[in-house]
Amino acid sequence: MIRVEALEKRYGELRAVDGVTFSVERGEVVGFLGPNGAGKSTTMRCLAGYLFPDAGTLAIGGRAVHPEDLETRRAVGYLPESTPLYRRMRVELYLDFVGRIRGLGRSERRAAIARVIGDCGLEGRARQRIGTLSKGYRQRVGLAQALLSDPDVLILDEPTGGLDPAEVTRMRELVRDLGERKTILLSTHVLSEVQETCRRVVILAGGKVVADGTPLDLAAGERAELRVTIEDAGDDAVTELGRVEGVAAARRTGVDDAGRRGVALEVDDRHACARRVGELARAKGWTLVELRHELPSLEQVFLRRTQPAAAVAEEERP
Amino acid sequence: MSRVHAIFRRELGGTLDSPVALVAAMLFVVGLHAGFFFLGFPVGDRRAPGFWEGRTASLQAFFSWLPLFFALLAPALTMGAWAAERRSGTEELLLTHPVRPGEAVLGKFLAAWTLAVALVLLAALPLALVVDRLGPLDWGAVASGVAGAALLAGGCIAIGLCASALAQEELVAFLLSAGLLVLLWSLSLFVRALPPGLAEAAWYASPPVHYLDTVTRGVLDGRDALYHGLLVLLGLYLNIAVVEGRRWR
Repeated sequence: MIRVEALEKRYGELRAVDGVTFSVERGEVVGFLGPNGAGKSTTMRCLAGYLFPDAGTLAIGGRAVHPEDLETRRAVGYLPESTPLYRRMRVELYLDFVGRIRGLGRSERRAAIARVIGDCGLEGRARQRIGTLSKGYRQRVGLAQALLSDPDVLILDEPTGGLDPAEVTRMRELVRDLGERKTILLSTHVLSEVQETCRRVVILAGGKVVADGTPLDLAAGERAELRVTIEDAGDDAVTELGRVEGVAAARRTGVDDAGRRGVALEVDDRHACARRVGELARAKGWTLVELRHELPSLEQVFLRRTQPAAAVAEEERP
Repeated sequence: MSRVHAIFRRELGGTLDSPVALVAAMLFVVGLHAGFFFLGFPVGDRRAPGFWEGRTASLQAFFSWLPLFFALLAPALTMGAWAAERRSGTEELLLTHPVRPGEAVLGKFLAAWTLAVALVLLAALPLALVVDRLGPLDWGAVASGVAGAALLAGGCIAIGLCASALAQEELVAFLLSAGLLVLLWSLSLFVRALPPGLAEAAWYASPPVHYLDTVTRGVLDGRDALYHGLLVLLGLYLNIAVVEGRRWR
């Protein structure tokens, strides 16, 4: 439904998007992640037809996105970052305006406005000026305008940015409901949101795609972590465990009240390493209280893929 | 065309809703009336006395003031057209709807132009009725004056829209187009004083020159109409180019 191939966009010397390729299939909800300045918004602006790329091809529903072609824009509902709206306009009049420029006839418009006002929970606000609404309601108006002509594709740039927790929950539910009928590309900084609403994630960093897959696949692709808790061990336990064959890195995760030491080991082959850790504990006379492996969280995947290794270690330190 | 109409309606509603435009409109009408009755037109070689002083049944002084008043009205009506859209980010959303930049530019132009012409009529009609009560007013001259003013307003609005598209801030857009329009107006003062070559250049460059003759003679010249038409087209074309250009950056 959405195809992006070798997309490039420069702002002067800066390569904001540098050869980005990914696709979103019909009915998929894809989370678009990346640190600030990774190129997410630029990619979305190109897809929505606002910016024209320097190179690469974009297609919506099998049709190339072209500056002169309005068809692909008809198929896309777009909510830009920071939800820019005409603040002096009243909600209903604004939606009527959007209906008109999207080519809806009078009766279609009326029905569509009633539908999105209901879907986005804007009942009772229709006659209010947009500028007097709370941020949450403005965001709903932004979503309502994107949904008005019932497009197949939704491109939502940080739809939950700056909302309070109740509004975030409400917006997430809305997006999840929409995901059952629409193809959605959703950018966000809230990783738990992605896990709740998206089946797949595409992670950008420095204008390039650094990861693309389901959260589980991405986690499985990373080094697993062995969590070891031992009793009767000295301070050198971490060093000893770090020397075990197949362990890439070892770090202390803390000592509890009972004097049990926690150590996290980054390993490639978790079964072989677990066996070796068991052997070491026996040889050293430690009591192994806990030995389990953990897949990295989406946060860890995100940090590992988007930041240099040193910064990751810093972030993960308890 | 329905998209142009939608943008026209929104712009018209937006301007009527904005205090700045309403203040500008009020100053425009009140200022013109004050000039007409009390000051006359004291500048250049088309001087006319104030109505109470000259006691001629003509709106000459009123029409002579218009180019200068347009130099403030047109920027006030157009300064937000693109600058405010860009500042608030609504330009991005507008252009991701199935709208061509040309349609957006045309809708914005028509809205500001309609308001400017409506204000000219709002200012001119009461004056014409008063003058007509007091003496024999040539309604034909009034009609051609209004028509000329409408053409002149078109050029000024197109220039104002370009400034708004180029500027980052509304105030900058206002100052840019007001400065440019006052400069073009002042060129018309020098046409007769300049050496032939320069005078010709000034004549071509200054929109008010192509309007003032209309007003003085009471006849709308086809070439002047063409001049203003071309000026509007050039302004709209540049406006589209600036808006489009930003998307390629």
